[in-house]
Amino acid sequence: MPWLLSRARIWTRRGLILVLRVSRLVSIGVRQIRPGLRYLWRSLLRRWRRSLEFRTVLTTLLLAVTSFAIVGAYLSNQIANNLFQERLVQAESESRYNVKQVQDTFDGAQVTDQSSVITLVYDTLTAVEGRGSVIQRRYVFEAKPEQTKPRNRWVESRASDQLTVRVIPPELRKAVQEGGKQQFWASTQFPVGNEDRPGIAVGNMVTFNGTSYELYLIYDLNTAQQTLNEIQNVLWAGGAALVLMIGAIAWYVTRNVVSPVSHAAVVSEKLAAGQLQERMVVKGEDEVARLGASFNHMAASLQEQITQLATLSQMQQRFVSDVSHELRTPLTTVRMAAEVLFEAREDFDPMNKRSAELLYHQVERFQSLLSDLLEISRFDAGAAVLDAEPQDIFQVISHVMEGASPVAAEYGSDVRLNARQKSIVVEMDSRRIDRILRNLLLNALEHGEGRPILISVAANHDAVAVSVRDHGIGMSQAEAARVFDRFWRADPARARTTGGSGLGLSIAAEDTKLHNGWLQAWGRKGSGSNFRLTLPLRQGGTIVKSPLQLEPADIEFPGTARERQMLVLGTDPGTPPQRSQAAAGLDTPDAVEGEDR
Amino acid sequence: MKARILVVDDDEALAEMIGIVLRNDGFEPVFCADGGQALEIFRSSKPDLVLLDLMLPGSDGIEVCRQIRGESDVPIVMLTAKSDTSDVVRGLESGADDYVPKPFKPAELVARVRARLRPGDQKAPETLRIADVTIDVAGHLVTRGGERISLTPLEFDLLVALARKPWQVFTRELLLEQVWGYRHAADTRLVNVHVQRLRSKIERDPEAPEVVLTVRGVGYKAGS
Repeated sequence: MPWLLSRARIWTRRGLILVLRVSRLVSIGVRQIRPGLRYLWRSLLRRWRRSLEFRTVLTTLLLAVTSFAIVGAYLSNQIANNLFQERLVQAESESRYNVKQVQDTFDGAQVTDQSSVITLVYDTLTAVEGRGSVIQRRYVFEAKPEQTKPRNRWVESRASDQLTVRVIPPELRKAVQEGGKQQFWASTQFPVGNEDRPGIAVGNMVTFNGTSYELYLIYDLNTAQQTLNEIQNVLWAGGAALVLMIGAIAWYVTRNVVSPVSHAAVVSEKLAAGQLQERMVVKGEDEVARLGASFNHMAASLQEQITQLATLSQMQQRFVSDVSHELRTPLTTVRMAAEVLFEAREDFDPMNKRSAELLYHQVERFQSLLSDLLEISRFDAGAAVLDAEPQDIFQVISHVMEGASPVAAEYGSDVRLNARQKSIVVEMDSRRIDRILRNLLLNALEHGEGRPILISVAANHDAVAVSVRDHGIGMSQAEAARVFDRFWRADPARARTTGGSGLGLSIAAEDTKLHNGWLQAWGRKGSGSNFRLTLPLRQGGTIVKSPLQLEPADIEFPGTARERQMLVLGTDPGTPPQRSQAAAGLDTPDAVEGEDR
Repeated sequence: MKARILVVDDDEALAEMIGIVLRNDGFEPVFCADGGQALEIFRSSKPDLVLLDLMLPGSDGIEVCRQIRGESDVPIVMLTAKSDTSDVVRGLESGADDYVPKPFKPAELVARVRARLRPGDQKAPETLRIADVTIDVAGHLVTRGGERISLTPLEFDLLVALARKPWQVFTRELLLEQVWGYRHAADTRLVNVHVQRLRSKIERDPEAPEVVLTVRGVGYKAGS
């Protein structure tokens, strides 16, 4: 439809101008409020990701707008088309009638002088415009070009106000000029006042005094346009209202479906956080109610099982605590009696003396085993609690090194400390860390073959690591993997020189777990072993990477150890090791008493 | 003169054994097997130190501890099979100066008894000040604004140790060594509890201490 196309062109141009203006405004604005916009965009994105409701409503709105745009465009197109066709038919029939009138008037004219001819033509043409104040149709009257000009041709061209022959499309003129008596039409635009109006130009050929004239009658489409505009306005307004209503409906429906789901999410979060008595509100008998009911059922059975487990765990804890208490009182008596006998052994005959010694040492061993067992059962019962506070790890390390120095002297091992920092404050349970490190150090001394032992300390942004490296008999990878197993011994035939319970490293592993740390072992036959403890600097923090390597760089021989800042704390060769002191350090690898319950 | 020690324990075998050990080391033990009679025997025997089992029939050790502390500053050492933090802390808070976890060695027990009985250093006339608290060391007197504050000997020793070196930050281990008198005792809960107790007596607001300050990650120091 040419007329519609031209309208479309105008709209497109206006639209383009509008877009350009808006985009310029936006680009100016964006520069100034970019952070705000970015925040808005991010929060929208977040809502899109997190809210099913938001997503559904937005999607529904977008789809509704698109469908209404399509339907609206189709409807307004149809209406415009119909309006135009109607007007066209009317224009064509009116034109035929008017052209016939003009031709009849011209044919019957009896005028010969110039002024009457001009008057006659002008009057006839003015009559075409219609009676009354409203112009029904406009005209353009133009002599057909390229024809011999008779002597009495006084009228060349004539048109309604403001019009010239230029408003007639050239194609129409050509058709009229070549078409003889046929009537043609075309869409056009013509000026009225200050505006351009859409119109239909209908062209015919008339003759007057032997001269052919093109007569174009131009019909205003403004009223049709206005009708169309009104219809379109109604359409868009109705569409917008419908879209909003659809959005509201989508919001309402989604909300009805989603709110039980988000309620369920809230309730299950509370359940997960330990509020086991939390339940969903169940209303009606629909799917949502069924969801609620089965959710509540699940929560109830969960609660039951957790309570049962908690009761079991409590019972176990109480049992461990009772055993601990009941055993410890007689054990204390036995131990004191054994020691009194042991101290007095020199007065006994050899058989009784040996018995007193055996009694004494085995009671010690029994006690160490018992406390290790109790400690392990506390971990198993979940009764072990972390009593963490910030403390310098070097304090703990030097305490451990000092405590182990008699044992180190006995084995003839140097214990060295390798660290760049002077102080690293770690949030930890120092009793447990002390116990872990003592276990690692005594273990290293026991298997270190008298060679130097290197304790390395390093920290990074979120973790601290302490490794204990010995250059003794070492162990295979398979053994390193099992070294934290309970009662596991690398070589069962090996003499129990330290009298350890076989639980020391297991307890160390449990203590580490309580700190959310890592305890790992590396070993190679003949190259010694390396135990690395990694702890988060703050409780609740996570370890990304241990500051120390598990596999040592100095695998070949102890002498090649690359120590940057070395502090030799270990042994003083001048003083011979005291067996009783060594025993004091060794027989109670967990002299730190944990908590009984 | 032999120091007299009241052993409050319901386990007869253990009490007897403790008696043997104490006698062996030159102490004079007095026994009480029932918490209900503990206070009575305490009054009649006037011991220099009390060894107290936390778990007692009749009335529990913590109650006994509180009763004795109510009328005397005599050192109290608890014997405990339960070394659970909350029990130890409860015992210390009820007034005990120290505790020995079972099973203990005779030497360990005697060492702790001796540490608590050790004659105070020959105290020269000396007056110390922390914040607005005045300490008369020889007179064993602590005052704030002319008002006397009553402290147990242990709390007094703790305060004096801090006040003598106001520039020094004391680690818990160092305090254990200087005030309690032993090395290699990793249990710093003892210090924590006694500092809390001391604060509750000498601080205007124990939540915002001015006399005994905590140095995070290290230990304690005297306020200025």
